[in-house]
Amino acid sequence: MMPQLVTVRRRRHNGRWLRLYVPVLPVLLVLSPLLVLAVLVGLVACLATRVSPVGALRGTGQLLWALPGTRIEIEQGRTAVLVTVR
Amino acid sequence: MNEQRRQILQMLVEGKITVDEAERLIDALVREQPESPPGAAPRPKPRPKYLRVVVSSPDNFGGDGPGRVNVRVPLQLLRAGVRLTSLIPPQALTQVNAELTKSGVPIDLTQLKPQHIEDLVEQLDDVTVDVDQPDAKVQVFCE
Repeated sequence: MMPQLVTVRRRRHNGRWLRLYVPVLPVLLVLSPLLVLAVLVGLVACLATRVSPVGALRGTGQLLWALPGTRIEIEQGRTAVLVTVR
Repeated sequence: MNEQRRQILQMLVEGKITVDEAERLIDALVREQPESPPGAAPRPKPRPKYLRVVVSSPDNFGGDGPGRVNVRVPLQLLRAGVRLTSLIPPQALTQVNAELTKSGVPIDLTQLKPQHIEDLVEQLDDVTVDVDQPDAKVQVFCE
């Protein structure tokens, strides 16, 4: 399943949490012109390094599709960062 | 024979219920408590979906307080990452091999096929690593 929401939480030194919710699909739609450009650059890079562009696209897609469920928590003293992909 | 089934049969013998009623009651009982036949193979263990890495250090590094890292990565993500490694161009692999040999690690990465790495990820299910140190604790396991 494609990732739908990325949550980034950060606890500052003063103990207050900063929460950032990133809805993946709307952000991708907004950034789609840049995304098309990035895909084109990637294709050129694939051709230059003799890597199969189809394989690279498929691999990247599989990587993105496998992201939901990822959770990273890092705490150090009073500061903390939490990233969740749903 | 369990107690409830015995009670139903007792009521049947005493004539309190008919054969049909007894049958229905026993059916209901079986539906409520499905019994596994004796000698049946045990249910297969559910396959783990995530790789967890937990690091906790009670020590006060840098005067900031104790540290803790908790990472949960889907095993599917590892598999997808491993498949991507098959896209590394051969000339890059040759360069990596040369550098590894120079550093005293004579591993030939060109011999490492995606199937081998996939097998490795498959077997990660049973991996549990526990490192206990006075100043830190590391756990790697699948769940």
